[in-house]
Amino acid sequence: MKALLSRLTGNRRLGIADNNGRYDLPLNQSAGTHFLVLLVALMTFLAMMAITATMMLGGITKHWSSGLENKLTIEIPALKPDGKIREPAEIKALSDTVSKTLNTNPNIESLEVLSQEQINELVAPWLGDDVVLDDIPLPGLISVHLHIRDDEKLTQIKKTVERAASDIRLDTHESWLSDILRLARTMKLSSLIVTLIITFTTVTAIAGAIRSRMAEHKADIELLHLMGASDLYITHQLQRHAIILTLKGSACGAVSALMILFFLSIISGGGENGLLPGLSFSGLQILFLLALPAFAGLIASQTARFTVLRVLGQMP
Amino acid sequence: MIKFEHVGLRYGIGPEVLTDINFVLEPGSFHFLTGPSGSGKTSIMSLMYLGRKPTRGLVTMFGQNINDMDRSQLCALRQKIGVVFQEFRLLPHLSAFDNVALPMRISGHPESEVKSNVDELLEWVGLGDYKNVLPMTLSGGQQQRVAIARSVIARPKLLLADEPTGNLDDNIGFRLMHLFEQLNRMGTTIVIATHSQSIMDRFGHPRLVLEAGNLHVHDNANWVQKNIEGVY
Repeated sequence: MKALLSRLTGNRRLGIADNNGRYDLPLNQSAGTHFLVLLVALMTFLAMMAITATMMLGGITKHWSSGLENKLTIEIPALKPDGKIREPAEIKALSDTVSKTLNTNPNIESLEVLSQEQINELVAPWLGDDVVLDDIPLPGLISVHLHIRDDEKLTQIKKTVERAASDIRLDTHESWLSDILRLARTMKLSSLIVTLIITFTTVTAIAGAIRSRMAEHKADIELLHLMGASDLYITHQLQRHAIILTLKGSACGAVSALMILFFLSIISGGGENGLLPGLSFSGLQILFLLALPAFAGLIASQTARFTVLRVLGQMP
Repeated sequence: MIKFEHVGLRYGIGPEVLTDINFVLEPGSFHFLTGPSGSGKTSIMSLMYLGRKPTRGLVTMFGQNINDMDRSQLCALRQKIGVVFQEFRLLPHLSAFDNVALPMRISGHPESEVKSNVDELLEWVGLGDYKNVLPMTLSGGQQQRVAIARSVIARPKLLLADEPTGNLDDNIGFRLMHLFEQLNRMGTTIVIATHSQSIMDRFGHPRLVLEAGNLHVHDNANWVQKNIEGVY
């Protein structure tokens, strides 16, 4: 307690040794210690943001693709191939014929002929509330849920529905979704690359700091060697130093990132429009984010160990 | 214990500072290493404390050829050697206590044992009240006593001391020499590099006399007085 008060008040007794956590080398007094902590904090902050972006994009990809798995829509066009308008009664009759035929197909789990009201609801956002939809020719739609979705089964269904009318179309939703999913995957990959670059930068910074400490305290390291200290004895000291600095920095970075993410999750509003999922995390994802400082500590530990042993190996 | 056969040492591409050195030190022996300034005393000490390897010849320590040893083997061997450096080489950021405790901690002794041994030894060298003090605030003599305490704390099998009494008054110097003799009686081999004629005369141990890179072993203390006293 006295030592803590002394440290806080800056009231240090000249010539009296501090309790330095049993370092034989004066690592705490080395130049650049605060810089390394700050750098690791920034890197952890950026890594958490990049990993969160990766998780979010993964969520978006899943959100967009999950509702359409094994699903397709059969469209009975309102306009015939000869250019005439198909009457609603004809559309209904064709819908019934197609649904009856498909009901006998063992690969079809369920199907639903969309009512006029359901179709109106689908197009209302595009045409506006003021338009009287009863006067507009709208296609008939049948939503189909399949057991198995493959090209052969889809061709079989296509042939079946074309027997009722040759212009009936199958919409597998892939055409528009694939581009968006590809974009999402590209962004996800970019986030992962950014995370890797951040990791590489952190490793380089820690290795550089360790090399600098060793150059600074070369005479002391040689003395420890002369007293019989093994390479591992010296390595453990520098390794512990690197872990402590990294944990300090990464904890600061992680707390800052979590605060920002919490703030963003509040202002993002939980994704009520249905197009984007809200900024929320599963328990596993939260655990992963919270484990990031420990992961940074592990990287620091191994980087320090490798660097120290390599440098010591070059010493006489 | 120590065997030098045709040992030569040069620094970089410079001339040989040690030329064809040959001697054998038996376990439990006590020798003074003496010679004029620049004759190579510190160089020969550095070979004995395994600070460097010879550029030629064979050095055998504790029955092992040091030329063939790797780093981990050298570490194990160095733990058997205590060294008092001419310039003390205390770690400036560590207290007197922690400096003295270093060899025991490096050898992995339990902290309770470290504390009792270091406290006792610091009391013995008259620095019991200075154990939490940094070396920079100690006088030259006090720093030297810390360095000596550090060299003997782990009960080394070989003790090498480079001018260990140089900064001490005669009284403390003789007291420390008695400590070295006590360690020697307990089986520690001791080599002390010194210029002090009074200490060599008073304790009368055999002398290794270095002259222009060559070494002669003499049991007769009077030889030095007759032959090279005037040189230094």
